[in-house]
Amino acid sequence: MSAAPAEVQLPATDDEQVPDRPWIVIVWNDPINLMSYVVLVFQKLFGYNREQATELMMDVHHKGRAVVSSGTREKAELDVFRLHEHGLWATMRQD
Amino acid sequence: MRRIDKRQGKFLLAMEPQERALIRQLLDELRELLALSPDDPRVRRLYPSAHEQDVELENEYRSLTRDELQNGRLASIDAVEASVDAELLDVDQLTAWMQAVNALRLVLGTMLDITDDDDELSFNPEDPNARTVALYGYLGGLLDEIVDAQLSD
Repeated sequence: MSAAPAEVQLPATDDEQVPDRPWIVIVWNDPINLMSYVVLVFQKLFGYNREQATELMMDVHHKGRAVVSSGTREKAELDVFRLHEHGLWATMRQD
Repeated sequence: MRRIDKRQGKFLLAMEPQERALIRQLLDELRELLALSPDDPRVRRLYPSAHEQDVELENEYRSLTRDELQNGRLASIDAVEASVDAELLDVDQLTAWMQAVNALRLVLGTMLDITDDDDELSFNPEDPNARTVALYGYLGGLLDEIVDAQLSD
């Protein structure tokens, strides 16, 4: 991300959110969930086709994690919640 | 023979009465586990963290979601119980089965301290964990069939 121009005074409030930086949702590898189950959950929750969902699942399996969605904080929080409902290990952070 | 088979948008459930009775019993056990605090190590895996580095956001997320996660799983148990003797499940019922079976697997896997993707559990009747090991394996097989039936579009 580029820095803000020097002449701009940014408000310095505690809970300020930079609106341009999306939140990303990360799914982490875990030893219990079945690979086929993870593929199905990705398809159901995010509308990925089988190939995309399988690729993401393999990323999780081999690289330990994958970014599965991104957007506003509210959207990311909802996505994380839906993943947690399905028992997947998901976290979110601002990109 | 497969226990779950897709049939014109629904799912045939081919199970012997003994297996259905086992499922009913496991649902009771899961319901008891869900009555535990989300901080109890036995069920901690059912309430994962959303914010790893920000304690404040994490506390906020947990307070907003823990009841809903718990209630959602209790609703799944009710839905499975209501359909445990059925011959045919609709997709919502099958989803409830999937969520209940997966929740049980997560709890049993945590109890067995499964830490490796490739952990091969061997069954030894003398092992004090023998029942848990057997159930974990059984539920994995069932879940795999529930998933396969839905993936076969």
